[in-house]
Amino acid sequence: MSKPSLIRYAILLALIALWFLVTAMEWVKPIQLPPPAGLWAAWQADGSRFLDAFALTAAEIAVAILIAWPLGIGVGAVFGSLRAVSAVASAILGSLFAVPAIILYPLFIAWVGMGPESKVLFGVIAGFFPIALNTLSGVRQVDESYVTMARAMGASRLQVFYRVVLRLALPSVISGLRIGTALIMISVVVSEMLASFGGLGYMIAYHRTMFDTGHVYLGILMALLTVLTVNWLLSMLESHFSKWQERGADL
Amino acid sequence: MSSEVIRVENLSKVYSTREGDFHALDKLSFAIEEGGFVSIVGPSGCGKSTLLQLLTGLLEPTSGQVLIDGIEVRKPLPEKTGVMFQDATLLPWLTAEENVAFPLSLCGTDKKESQRRARDLLKLVGLGDFINHRPAELSGGMRQRVAIARGLVRDPRILLMDEPFAALDEQTRFKMGEELLWIWQETRKTILFITHGLTEAIYLSDTVLVMGTKPGRIIEVIPVDLPRPRTFEMISSEFFGKARNRIWKLIQEEAEA
Repeated sequence: MSKPSLIRYAILLALIALWFLVTAMEWVKPIQLPPPAGLWAAWQADGSRFLDAFALTAAEIAVAILIAWPLGIGVGAVFGSLRAVSAVASAILGSLFAVPAIILYPLFIAWVGMGPESKVLFGVIAGFFPIALNTLSGVRQVDESYVTMARAMGASRLQVFYRVVLRLALPSVISGLRIGTALIMISVVVSEMLASFGGLGYMIAYHRTMFDTGHVYLGILMALLTVLTVNWLLSMLESHFSKWQERGADL
Repeated sequence: MSSEVIRVENLSKVYSTREGDFHALDKLSFAIEEGGFVSIVGPSGCGKSTLLQLLTGLLEPTSGQVLIDGIEVRKPLPEKTGVMFQDATLLPWLTAEENVAFPLSLCGTDKKESQRRARDLLKLVGLGDFINHRPAELSGGMRQRVAIARGLVRDPRILLMDEPFAALDEQTRFKMGEELLWIWQETRKTILFITHGLTEAIYLSDTVLVMGTKPGRIIEVIPVDLPRPRTFEMISSEFFGKARNRIWKLIQEEAEA
């Protein structure tokens, strides 16, 4: 095991130990932080409801990703390769990205209702901009000489785009995907907390009003695990595509 | 029978700008025979790069034409002309072998066959032990060798080279020139070599075309009557010195005009 990951596990273990300690010694009130047993009790009482909530949240995140990724990459790639408009498009996307999407959430509810659709829509809007922006700048920065080379070697415009330009822009695209996906996950959970009928965000918000702190923390823990899992998958994707960048030594 | 592989006839390229028409090239005409090694030298801004883009079919001429094997060039003809640029422009995620095979992959050549050809060519350019190295693991000279191999992979009759060794240090550059002459002799390609280097141009070529600027045109054709194989000592010969002085004078006059 590598040293950084050892340190990470050590910190995690220490935090869990600290959790046992401060709750057992009653240094904090159970309503602020329940003992681990409180989470266990919540799980035993309402485990299946939590699993349903998790399934709904995971599905909303997955659908939002399936829409936002291709949409963001597509829009970014198209505007990035149109040299005449890419600067303007980048500025427009950039300022739209700066608008907090949450102020539009009430509108989304009015348009598509309080069900999962509004969460997906909110997630897509939040995730789309960083993905499109990063793809756009990645495509724009591709050195023109690669395009000339590929064209001279007989590549069609489509081949130039898929085999050369998009591939060269990939590091930038992937960093957009990481930011965008993080925003999608945040947005889905937050929008569930604001107004919804289900999902982990709903469970957290609902049980908070009931002062079921054990339930609240169980929801938080499951949301955390979801986010960490997706992040881990993304870093696998990233390292798969960036192997060729790591070895940069000149002979 | 010797035959013309490249024929350029009255080739002109005019760019319209806000300040009016800019004549990048004006009525260029020349021909290169099969197996010839011709260099083009000229001052900066004489339209060398425009000429190369026209020869590869990446640009359309305003008037005149480029004929390759008697066929007018209207789009890239990778099966007839291989190209190589100052930048090796190797794709960083591909190995040397995959980079060399890249043009073949664009036209759907059988994978086994592509691999075999790429390996043979990497051996030809002296990189037989580096087929699985990525560009980042190769030196500048090695990357240019991979680019030469890639230019040859579709077995074109012509190799167009746009200042291919300009970014290399002098020693590496000289070695690459030697290497190129050897490859040329082995493969019997027709080479058009664009360069800023006077010594390089004379040392490598049968003929040096000197270009003038504003508008870009050919101002003199200098035949290099030096025996082959060329040797380092020839650079200090009387003929070599005279040819170099002549080209330098022409370019100076153009730059002042």
